[in-house]
Amino acid sequence: MNDYDVLVVGAGIGGMESALKLGDMGYRVLLVEKEASVGGKMILLSKVFPTLDCASCISTPKMAASIHHPNVTTLTYSEVDGIDPLAGGRFHATVKRKARFVNETTCTGCQLCETACTVAVPDQFNADMVARRAAYIAFPQAVPKKAVIERAGSSPCSYTCPAGIQAHGYVSLIRSGEYEKAFQLVLDATPLVGTLGRACYAPCEVECTRGSLDGPLPIRRLKRFVADIHYEKFDGPGVEVPAPNGHRVAIVGSGPAGLTAAWQLARKGYAVKIFESAPKAGGFLRLAIPAYRLPSEVVEQDIANVTALGVEIATSTPVTDLEALHADAYEAVLLATGTPRSTTLGVPGDQLDGVMSGVSFLRAVKLGEGVDLSDKRVVVIGGGNVAMDTARTARRLGARDVTVVYRRSRAEMPAHHVEADDTEQEGVHFVFEAAPVEVLHSGHGATRGLRCDRMEPARPGATGRRHPEPIPGSTFEIACDMVIAAIGMAPDTDGFSAHVAADPSGRLTVDPTTLQSATPWLFAAGDVVSGASDITRATGQGQRAAFMIDHWIQDRNLDGIDGFDLRLSVVDKAQVLARQKAYRLAVPADPSQVLSPAPTDFREVELPMTEAEARRGAGLCLDCGVCSECGECVDACPVDDCIDLRARDETFKVEVGAVVVATGFKLFAADLKPEYGFGTFKNVITGMQMDRLLAPTRPFNTILRPGDGKVPERIAYVLCTGSRDETVGNPLCSRFCCMYSIKQNQLIMGALPVADVTVHYMDIRAPGKRYDEFYEQAKAMGANYVKGRVARITEKENGDLVLRYEDIEHGGGLVEAEYDLVVLAVGVQPNSDAQALFPMGALSTDEFHYVAETNEDTDPGRTSIPGVYVAGAASGAKDIADSILHAGSTVAQVAAYLERTKVPA
Amino acid sequence: MNVPNRELREIIREEPVMRGQILAILGDGPQTVPEIAAAMGCPTHEVVYWVMDMRRYGYVAEIKGATDDGYFRYESTGKVSA
Repeated sequence: MNDYDVLVVGAGIGGMESALKLGDMGYRVLLVEKEASVGGKMILLSKVFPTLDCASCISTPKMAASIHHPNVTTLTYSEVDGIDPLAGGRFHATVKRKARFVNETTCTGCQLCETACTVAVPDQFNADMVARRAAYIAFPQAVPKKAVIERAGSSPCSYTCPAGIQAHGYVSLIRSGEYEKAFQLVLDATPLVGTLGRACYAPCEVECTRGSLDGPLPIRRLKRFVADIHYEKFDGPGVEVPAPNGHRVAIVGSGPAGLTAAWQLARKGYAVKIFESAPKAGGFLRLAIPAYRLPSEVVEQDIANVTALGVEIATSTPVTDLEALHADAYEAVLLATGTPRSTTLGVPGDQLDGVMSGVSFLRAVKLGEGVDLSDKRVVVIGGGNVAMDTARTARRLGARDVTVVYRRSRAEMPAHHVEADDTEQEGVHFVFEAAPVEVLHSGHGATRGLRCDRMEPARPGATGRRHPEPIPGSTFEIACDMVIAAIGMAPDTDGFSAHVAADPSGRLTVDPTTLQSATPWLFAAGDVVSGASDITRATGQGQRAAFMIDHWIQDRNLDGIDGFDLRLSVVDKAQVLARQKAYRLAVPADPSQVLSPAPTDFREVELPMTEAEARRGAGLCLDCGVCSECGECVDACPVDDCIDLRARDETFKVEVGAVVVATGFKLFAADLKPEYGFGTFKNVITGMQMDRLLAPTRPFNTILRPGDGKVPERIAYVLCTGSRDETVGNPLCSRFCCMYSIKQNQLIMGALPVADVTVHYMDIRAPGKRYDEFYEQAKAMGANYVKGRVARITEKENGDLVLRYEDIEHGGGLVEAEYDLVVLAVGVQPNSDAQALFPMGALSTDEFHYVAETNEDTDPGRTSIPGVYVAGAASGAKDIADSILHAGSTVAQVAAYLERTKVPA
Repeated sequence: MNVPNRELREIIREEPVMRGQILAILGDGPQTVPEIAAAMGCPTHEVVYWVMDMRRYGYVAEIKGATDDGYFRYESTGKVSA
């Protein structure tokens, strides 16, 4: 734990002044600022009153000094999570350094990451008048001038993807029109871009936050969109073939797990050979999933990504001797053989002609083995996706009648609901809560029907799922010519038993983290480990296996390995939705597929997205995690490893002798005065927004109306917005609104010489040195000051604004005046952050909720807690000069306290 | 002008989507915000956000000094991609 003499919380002008003066006195100071730069609100101003000196010119020397002072340690983008008292008048403080995801030491402030970033968010440093990026440098004069990547957590879509695909990232790239980059981002995870763009069941869409508004984004189809575009232009992946690293890996099985592992290893320079027992590569992708869902040419395009990197695929080459494979200079072997075995019906007649498994049926069709179901009646048994594929394929092969028999209810079907719905739309009948008891034959060995029992849910099984049981006396028959059983699949691992253990169902037993078997060079991944799952999970397993194999070959040790899963915790969807008060709901999209009640061919049923549909769909993304993890910043950064998305928040404790609270103030939320229309009328802005428009680093090219970009000629100010106003609970004068308005009046008349400026005020408070002269100067320049509070503002069709007020100095009549732009001179409010610093609740506040001083007149800066002091506007509204003065008195108090506590009691 | 306001965050999020449309419109020559808005069929205040965002990141620039009835004209800088 580090010790400091003083902790200063907040690096606005009051905090910086306190830290620097205490540092000058020789005290060691820790200055903590929650934003990414020191400087507070002052650095955002145009000029200061009454001198009209440049605010940046005054601020930046202090900002730089606060970073470079030998006695001051400054932590930006950090928060104090709590301060607790210790014996002897000292304190423990808990400080959180929020991860910037950028190396502060090596970042050059070049801003290339920001320029490349694909996520736009409101720029709080420009009072929300323009966008910044998720990767950003706070403002041009930021100290330190280091980038930050705003990450609220993992977006639900990316977090939930079992294949580790940065779904938010590629959606964000598509939104920006960067289709090839989007393709490449998916390719970082898997070569199966086109396949997953079609056949994945899209758990990302299930988790999409937008789902609770107007439906999820079409995340999967967006992936297909970029795959289609890529494959129109390229035959392979469009990546460079890496230099060989001299290591060889064998993979048994060419399904999604094997292909993905091969891809990942080949990208690291491994020489990879895949051994496939079937005559074609791709596993179930190529030999089970029907072409109307996943065309074979798409699988072949995806496989070509893998072979383009030099991966060899030996088809019709089953592996039985793993030891021989290892002895053939393959340093590691990965088993990814899936679940090729089918579960049999186990009822009389299940060996008849006309009875087969769903997997065998689909495989025969995919291999073009002349399966003809013309005019046949087919019963498919099972409720999973293979059953749906089987039934729909049977329809396409001419079956007269196809019936799916499932022993539970429709709601309990394991098939994806979309698959079940589509199957029904293609003319397949369903019989639920029925189970086969016998396949009936005609006497010549041919199937003539299926005898079933009606089922009912009975007692819950071990998983809590109710186990169906036959209803006595409920037997019935379905006439049919063919029975296809799609009731389960299992691995075929008998040949591997000498090297790796398996459970009774044949699933291989490996370490769930490393996927390494008891034989160190042997790994297993995908359905052969997990049992039948889905493409996306198998893909993720292949990716994990490649990561582990690479580490094992390089280090020969996987003990305690981590670094595979770099996800942040998932963001809270409720918090994402709470970022906006309202949402414009999307117009429902056109149907995405064409289904026929009597399909006759294997043409793909899902339509491709047009570019307009893709951009529109991607544009609905809510940027849940803020940063999309698209990786553009990493690619753009000229410094190696400067951007580190693996960074995490760090929390540590410090012991300090005293605390200075310099948390400043908050500006009044102008929309709390609805009669003035802020947030509703586009050309009503706040004083801070006008200061940004006047600043050299302004968000627009000059002073423009936000409503239409017009240069305003008639500008009105409404003073005392949210101050001296009991209706909003703030009777206090904010002390500097009159003066900053007068300052802005002069600057506007300088910037827009033809503009008329009118100020509506209750009374002008200009009591400081040269303040009243400053006011007179503004009047002399032509600013018009009208006494009388504005009652209401209305908006005209063209965006002009009508102010209604009582003209006190000219008879008190109600007057209406028209303007192009209205500036609300908002007052200040206390910042409740200060109280949160002290969990024990001992920091007293005054009746207006500012930090209370024990005696403002005779003991400024001292709070209710001995050793805790307040500096600047945290104790009440102060302008810059008064904040600096107040900080000075607080510094004297702190020094006295520190010296006093050194003296033994 | 009297178009119901959408949330700022929602408007800003759309800039990457609108960027291509705006650049295509500016392909016919410099335009004011109302002219761009009319071509897009979008409210002018939303176009202000998008144009100013594009200006900040170098996609468009104003023609300096000259206004058309108080409106600057903006032109493409030639940058089309980050």
